[in-house]
Amino acid sequence: MSKAFLIDIARCSGCHNCQIACKDEHVGNDWSPYAKPQPIVGQFWMKVIETVHGTIPKVKIHYTPTLCNHCDNPSCIPACDVGAIYKREDGLVIIDPAKCNGCKNCISHCPYEAIYFGEDLNIAQKCTGCAHLLDNGRSVPRCVEVCPTGAITFGEKSELSKKMAGAVVLKPETGLGPNVYYKNIPGRFIAGTVFDPVEEEIVEGAECHLSCGPRVWNTLSDDFGDFWFKDLPEGEYDLTIKAKGFALKLIEAIDTAASDVNLGDIPLEKQD
Amino acid sequence: MSKDFKPEKSSLVSFSLMGPESGALCKVDCSDGRITRISPYEYDTEYTEAHCRPWKIEARGKTFRAPKNIPLTHFGLGYKGRVYSPNRVLYPLKRVDWDPKGERNPQNRGKSGYVRISWDEAAQICADELKRIKETYGCEAVLCQSDMHGEGKHVAPSHGCPNRLLSLMGGYTLQMRNFDSWEGWVWGAKHVWGCEPVGEQTPQANLIPDMAQHSDTLFFWGCDPEVTPLGFGMHMPTNLCYWFTELGIKSIYVCPDLNYGAAIHADKWIPVLPNTDAAMQLAIAYVWLTENTYDKDYIDSHAYGFDKFVAYVMGEEDGVPKTPKWASEKCGVPVYTIKALARHWAKKTVSICHGNGGSYIRGPYSTEPARLEIMLLAMQGLGRPGVHQTKMLEWNLWAQYYPVPYTPEFSPAVPHIADPLHPVDGDVPDEINMARFRLSPVQEERAPELKKLFAPLPAPKQFIPRCLVHNAILNGSAEWYGLQVFSTSQIPKEGNYRLATSRFQFEKMVYPRPGLSKVHMIWSSSPCNVTCWNDGNRFIEAYRSPEIETMVVQHPWMENDTCFADIILPVCTKHEMNDIGNDMSSGAFVSIYKVDPCIERRGESLTDFDVCAKVAEKLGPEYYDAYTDNMSEEDRVRFFYKATGCEERMSWEEFSDKKVFVVPIDKDTKDIPAGLYNFYKDPKKHRLSTPTGLLEFSSTHIEQYMPDDPERPPVPHWIEKGEMHDERLSGERAKKYPLLCMSNHGRWRVHAQCDDVPWTREIGTMKVRAKDGYQYEPVWLNPKTAKERGIEHGDIVKVFNERGTVLCGAYVTERLIPGVAYVDHGSRLDPIDPGKLDRGGAINTITPNSITSKNATGMATSGFLVEVLKVTDEEMEQWKRDFPEAFSRKIDHAAGVCMAGWMKE
Repeated sequence: MSKAFLIDIARCSGCHNCQIACKDEHVGNDWSPYAKPQPIVGQFWMKVIETVHGTIPKVKIHYTPTLCNHCDNPSCIPACDVGAIYKREDGLVIIDPAKCNGCKNCISHCPYEAIYFGEDLNIAQKCTGCAHLLDNGRSVPRCVEVCPTGAITFGEKSELSKKMAGAVVLKPETGLGPNVYYKNIPGRFIAGTVFDPVEEEIVEGAECHLSCGPRVWNTLSDDFGDFWFKDLPEGEYDLTIKAKGFALKLIEAIDTAASDVNLGDIPLEKQD
Repeated sequence: MSKDFKPEKSSLVSFSLMGPESGALCKVDCSDGRITRISPYEYDTEYTEAHCRPWKIEARGKTFRAPKNIPLTHFGLGYKGRVYSPNRVLYPLKRVDWDPKGERNPQNRGKSGYVRISWDEAAQICADELKRIKETYGCEAVLCQSDMHGEGKHVAPSHGCPNRLLSLMGGYTLQMRNFDSWEGWVWGAKHVWGCEPVGEQTPQANLIPDMAQHSDTLFFWGCDPEVTPLGFGMHMPTNLCYWFTELGIKSIYVCPDLNYGAAIHADKWIPVLPNTDAAMQLAIAYVWLTENTYDKDYIDSHAYGFDKFVAYVMGEEDGVPKTPKWASEKCGVPVYTIKALARHWAKKTVSICHGNGGSYIRGPYSTEPARLEIMLLAMQGLGRPGVHQTKMLEWNLWAQYYPVPYTPEFSPAVPHIADPLHPVDGDVPDEINMARFRLSPVQEERAPELKKLFAPLPAPKQFIPRCLVHNAILNGSAEWYGLQVFSTSQIPKEGNYRLATSRFQFEKMVYPRPGLSKVHMIWSSSPCNVTCWNDGNRFIEAYRSPEIETMVVQHPWMENDTCFADIILPVCTKHEMNDIGNDMSSGAFVSIYKVDPCIERRGESLTDFDVCAKVAEKLGPEYYDAYTDNMSEEDRVRFFYKATGCEERMSWEEFSDKKVFVVPIDKDTKDIPAGLYNFYKDPKKHRLSTPTGLLEFSSTHIEQYMPDDPERPPVPHWIEKGEMHDERLSGERAKKYPLLCMSNHGRWRVHAQCDDVPWTREIGTMKVRAKDGYQYEPVWLNPKTAKERGIEHGDIVKVFNERGTVLCGAYVTERLIPGVAYVDHGSRLDPIDPGKLDRGGAINTITPNSITSKNATGMATSGFLVEVLKVTDEEMEQWKRDFPEAFSRKIDHAAGVCMAGWMKE
């Protein structure tokens, strides 16, 4: 039996309900023996990370709700000298607030930066999966309950796996067996707009041909002259743009290693 | 808390912040006298499936179903931050150097701080001052500021209780709400298509299913479906937008910022400079006229004055054809994009979505983009399937039938005990005056117990539009056009029909009226003019004027105008009282619910109703009796329920037990024609409420009453500058203030509400914690704009023009067009040099003073000139030396401005 979270990035509107609900549940409320109160600000047992892609006017945003991964082989458990961290039968990883001595070892051992230090209580604190609620009749943690779009789901991993096609975990290289899965994390994009500077018209239907080594992608510019290549792996790309009546345009060495690329408004040269 | 983690009790409470309707409900758990948890209300689906006819929308082979719960917003979830805010006013307070029997020191309002006094003393001072002012100057010397957009509650509403008591005293001067949020629609669009009461499209019936079936593209023109609806407790627009995308409908966002909706839903974002939309709209018309891509037959049968419009667009009138090139220089959108947009629109079936309009419709001369939008819709056959102007919020407002198929079987109207918008008798005919705040005959029949409590009160005898209050106080007089600036929102008659009101916009009004006094005292239950209205710094000047002898504010929090009051009366939140709520458009159904207090009232706070009852008590038993009818809060809940008509369907006993009555969906609304379809089919039979009954491309009313108005001519124009406003990049002022400042409704606030919630203040777009530890209001700047000024993300900057300076935290982002500074309105004031320098980020302190245009009495709070510069350490140190007291006020690490900062003991 193992619980898991499945988060669909394509359905996350960035409303932050999950982040706020976590605070509503845990700030000022003592859920011992599961958890002591979270301080009023500064800890994010559920944290929404905003990522802005591209440059004006080709800008997109995606939001990533992040939390303790309740790993299969958690690095925090062996890091704890006093044995305060334990994994429940249902897979949730809990820091026993009564046993924690505030040594902070677990904090430095968590690759997901999911553990916080509560100065006032001198304990390490993190997401409990709202175990106190699950043990008392509720079926999902608060962050899941308040998601207005259904982007966050929670349940038995075996049940969720039906919906998990293409889902990935963050930092798989750690090998800890994290249990928070993400669907539809966007890859890089390369985009631009093609136009005729003489007539001051966009160019619709331009054949845009993108390549990266042996891999190729093709698309046509739309009725705004826009072309988009989405969900690309990081790499170096070459783009050719072919439009009837215009000279072939070649843009080389488009590097998406650091960021998405908006090629901007690209003038095409008239050709008979 | 018991061992099994079950709460001791749970209450249902509203989480909408758009009073007067209480709106969406949520579940609040409490234990040990404290709120422990706030969670979404789940419908009893077994019951609703069997009895309430859950709705669904089907289109293109897909289905959108009514939700099974009422999704909470962060406002509802974070409300402990409001109830337990260190900014709460818990006791009656008196300004420390205000002595009603001696020196009043009006010049120190916003500076001097407060001492705690007893309720007895506070109520006595208020009663004595009311009597003294009335005897000295007459009733009208008291200005009552009391309108809308506080917590939603009914038996003791946030707004209107002082009006009730003042009416009993013989009258007052009413601060009349101008049409904020609808500026351009009301003063502009109404003259094109009528569409009472506010100039946005009515009717809205069945628009969402119609768009889902027929529209190819939706324009979100200055609209953010991820922001504005939240204040009303609505998350459904989010899911509808995702659904439209699934259906293959394109979403195009036209706005200066990549707003929160555009960030996740847009297929195309067209950034445009603030308040320049009219130029682009004219160019779109130009493209259609020159390429013959508009619906000529429709125009022939449905429009008046089209030739005059054509003459202006083509340049026959002024020698300037409104070409895409002409527009591009003004609006910053490339020529080829304007042409592409025009052609896309002409080719596809397009509707335009709005969250009432936002900054797009709240700038200088906003009548023009508003009017032009309707004309462009008209040129593509407005009313035909898929061609509409659709509201993405407030589906119940002024609607007999909703845009989503969830019109209730009957509309359970909860009475309003207090009327914040009571119009002046005789100004407009009775049948047009707003009647929403009175007990209707049918309510009276159902609950005769309420008859005495709702006995008709005398109307005020004069009013000042809210956007002119500061000038009226400081100049001692005011003139404007427009009668009953707000209250023309009549109850619809059969068939959602309303009487036309646009002719009342041409009535000349004055303050003071002959024989009536000027204002010498203010009583406010909506203290947010400085932060939400026009030229807030001028409001500060007015509040500090010696003309104002006494200023009383009743409010739960020390925020915004509250720090200018002489007496502050503590009000409890909606979580601390009994009430009856109505959820009209937040979830899947309309419902009525019983609110039980979650916790004891905090400190010595009282409901708004009881605050005024305290003062009534000191005025004398006759006032107290008339004001309260000696009816308890619990009894008001009981009889208000009776008045709704729900009791005929669910007994009081059952309702007290179940706490909710869900109204079944009306089964017969599916076939109601969508939007203006009837007009589209037969304009002669289904006339608009314009004088011609047609879409007026040249307004016959403006032709008749104000044909020579250069700022709102009969045909909408591009107005570069005028007598009222010089806020364009082309102007002389732009040399000193070269950025256009845009201001939206904020994502994390409802106007000025919820600025103190610690959990949203941790989010990067809500506040920027700068190097001095202070959480500044973000000003968004494009990296290019920032770089030109040597500004980096997180820097403390000053946003300023000749009206004052506002300190902000730089938020450098690709989400904004260069040349623009963007600050949401409503951040709490933290006055350093009141009227000149604010640290809290209240951008409205420096918005234009002038009204929308010469004869349009709205406000202009977006699209104005500023400069933004980095605040140097030396400059900050100098301010700290100059204003040591202001800088030494305590600031809460998590909540910001707080009560303790203002206390003097």
